[in-house]
Amino acid sequence: MNNHQTRNRICYAVFSLLIILAGYTIENPYYIQVLTFIGINTLLALGLNMLMGYAGQISLGHAAFFGIGAYGTAILTVHYNLSPWLALPAAIAAAMIVAYIVGIPTLKLSGYYLGMGTLGFGMIVNILFREWSSVTGGASGFIGIPTLELGPVSFSSGRNYFFLVWGFVLTSFIICQRIIDSRIGRALRAIHDGEKAASAVGVDTRKLKLQVFVLSAAFSALAGFLYAHLVFFISPGTFSFIASIRMVTMVVIGGMASIWGSLLGASLLTLLPEWLHAFSEFEMVVYGLILMIVMIFLPRGLTRGLLDIYERANKKNDH
Amino acid sequence: MTTELPLLEIKTVFKAFGGVQALSDITFSLNPGSITGLIGPNGAGKTTLFNLISGVFPVDKGKIVFSGTGIKNKKPHTLVDIGISRTFQNVELFESMTVLENILVGQHTRTRCGMWGSILRFPWVAGEEKKAHQFAMELLDFVGLNGHADKTSGDLPFGWQRLLEIARALASRPKLLLLDEPAAGLNIVETMQLGDLIKKIREQGVTVLLVEHDMSLTMEISDWIVVLDQGEKIAQGTPRTVQADEKVIAAYLGTAGKKTED
Amino acid sequence: MELIPWPELHAMDQSIMQEILQYLFSGITNGAIYAVIAIGFSMLYNSTDLINFAHGEFVMLGSLCMVTFFGSMHLPLVPAIILTIICVAIAGLVFERLAIRSVKHPEPIVLIIITVGASIFLRGLGMIIWGKDAYSIPSFSSHPPLDIAGAKLLSQSIWIIVIFLVASVGLQLFYKKTLTGKAMEANAISKRAAWIVGIPSKLMVMLAFGLSTAMGGLAGVIIAPITMSSYDMGTMLGLKGFCAAMLGGLGSLWGALIGGFLLGILEALGVGFVSSGLKDATAFVLLLFILYVRPGGIISSADANRF
Repeated sequence: MNNHQTRNRICYAVFSLLIILAGYTIENPYYIQVLTFIGINTLLALGLNMLMGYAGQISLGHAAFFGIGAYGTAILTVHYNLSPWLALPAAIAAAMIVAYIVGIPTLKLSGYYLGMGTLGFGMIVNILFREWSSVTGGASGFIGIPTLELGPVSFSSGRNYFFLVWGFVLTSFIICQRIIDSRIGRALRAIHDGEKAASAVGVDTRKLKLQVFVLSAAFSALAGFLYAHLVFFISPGTFSFIASIRMVTMVVIGGMASIWGSLLGASLLTLLPEWLHAFSEFEMVVYGLILMIVMIFLPRGLTRGLLDIYERANKKNDH
Repeated sequence: MTTELPLLEIKTVFKAFGGVQALSDITFSLNPGSITGLIGPNGAGKTTLFNLISGVFPVDKGKIVFSGTGIKNKKPHTLVDIGISRTFQNVELFESMTVLENILVGQHTRTRCGMWGSILRFPWVAGEEKKAHQFAMELLDFVGLNGHADKTSGDLPFGWQRLLEIARALASRPKLLLLDEPAAGLNIVETMQLGDLIKKIREQGVTVLLVEHDMSLTMEISDWIVVLDQGEKIAQGTPRTVQADEKVIAAYLGTAGKKTED
Repeated sequence: MELIPWPELHAMDQSIMQEILQYLFSGITNGAIYAVIAIGFSMLYNSTDLINFAHGEFVMLGSLCMVTFFGSMHLPLVPAIILTIICVAIAGLVFERLAIRSVKHPEPIVLIIITVGASIFLRGLGMIIWGKDAYSIPSFSSHPPLDIAGAKLLSQSIWIIVIFLVASVGLQLFYKKTLTGKAMEANAISKRAAWIVGIPSKLMVMLAFGLSTAMGGLAGVIIAPITMSSYDMGTMLGLKGFCAAMLGGLGSLWGALIGGFLLGILEALGVGFVSSGLKDATAFVLLLFILYVRPGGIISSADANRF
């Protein structure tokens, strides 16, 4: 076993410990809830980071898959009385199938055109959520999504839900880490560095891009499922274009091609609005400014950006 | 000529871009285990022919046959799988990845761990990875880059990047290696070393097709030379006969003063 | 089954014709607005390879400035329009100077997020200045609607189409006839070549920003009397203008015109004959269709960014 793997194992062990510690020591239900939301957003950022950071394919419509996960479980559990634990794989499968079908023509595009294709797809799905009111509840939203229960354990309490969400986050981190460290992960990064060269060394770029697109849709749908059963009420606004952009922002601010960057980006973008409440009506202005300033001065994201600054400072000290 | 079956046959191949005829009626073949030099002035259609053989563009008319099977409509990655590998005129490495990782990606078609394999880490996956690492190290040794496995490939000096790209192309264990101007940008010493390396590659049983502007290198290492000019084959033969060919001399001298785009 | 007597059938035909004509009018009106927004997108993309996701917010600024100058302050029409456009263009220039020019590595993804950040900032600014209320202003003139074959053409629609025509002819003349316009076009084709012949590239980019946001402001001006203006009106308008620009062919002025009208008319017919709820989807379905079939847009050759 090499260094890299040992370091990763230690990281994940510490991370699991922190989750357990946080879950048992934090008493304030508000903090627990914010942390739960951070977990859900981390899943969103992680899935999109696999697509954007590693494979280098932008998506401005990923909120659609988030929505398919949420509406999927809402519809199946409320309209069809299905157990949420059956609705979960069904909703994820639905998102994956949609991603597969949409991905085939869309992933042929690149750059701005790919951004626009995914944007269009996201908008259409969002309009469907709003207009197909007999199924989705329309603009006023979908109410009455049931609480999650597993045998004697009810996930109605904040603490249980916190553990559920972060359990999924931890599992997803390990899955993504394993993919990144494998033959598939190397091929993905190769596509990022140069699609032409990747196919010239034998990587089936079309197939791989599609696989990753489907995988990232699955993570988004999982996040949607967890979100729906946490808040019991969903409405189209949560899965709008703005939500897609928020996901992209989490990835980029946290740091592309970095699993821990997804966690950082998701944490910041979840906490920022909470802090900005203090600015009341200046909230949006400040939020927009922060986005612009971070991107202007740290275009590679906070994780990389801070590392770069640190390295530069070190170099100066050496001279 | 030998009686062996050719590894690659180009049969009356035509290719046009828009109204421009890039290649017309090209026919030649490569014997297994040989080094063939493809030469010609700028704009002769050498790179176009390379792109046809490696599946970047489809052939308009005619046939390219590799090991007895036609390669029409095959994608570049499938061609790597059946044994055709290439390098690029302007080195195309995966610059953010390490030297070792570049070669591991080069083995993509020779390894099979997929999405599920990587997530579930089946027992055979570790074995496959280990073998891939070993082979990568052997290749680094082969091209003379041992000791640099963990460097970021984008940071290597240019000459080494060339060598790495060749090692990456060899990682798919090709039967045919296409080298697109491998000496471009190299100094005299590096070019000589490259010549030795190409000969060593042939000794491993790999057939080489080489596009090169450096005449002394091409003439020295090639068994067979094919000369293109303005999309047509004007001569072929051993280096000695080609060098004496009047048409070839005319083509080079005739276009020497006039620059055309490649 | 009851047979419909002939004269009534004829009357029904006529009413359908009337209805189609009515939808066509509203389609052309909206089309002109989309075209103006799309022109702004295309001009900027041409000169800077940048897609400005905040473009819709400049439309919003235009609309709300018009509400203030024309609606509340009761300035005469022409000064109000000019003042509005100047304000919006200045906002655009400030944005270029402070945000865009500071970017050291202008990769698409970074620029997308910066312009999205700008759009949130501007929306917030709009909310601070004008609050969360929606405003409407009277039509530019109080002429009664024209009656054409039974369909009604509102006077504001005529204003919109006339202003659109003046603006696009003006732009065309500017690009083809003036030295500055030609310099901008040269700069759009090749920055290096333009730099060699002594065209100041930075100035050209600024000019492109100013003109592009001014077009956004103009779109806001003409739309103000026919919609409710509020701080959050920009996003959808911007996205649709963007769809129109893609539809016609990003970077082409004629493409923007064709895309704008095509979108406006199809959307109006969609509202009339399919469902008004799905109206907003029209733009995006068209967008996907064009991307899949001909990613370069209607105008440009299909070279685009396809691998």
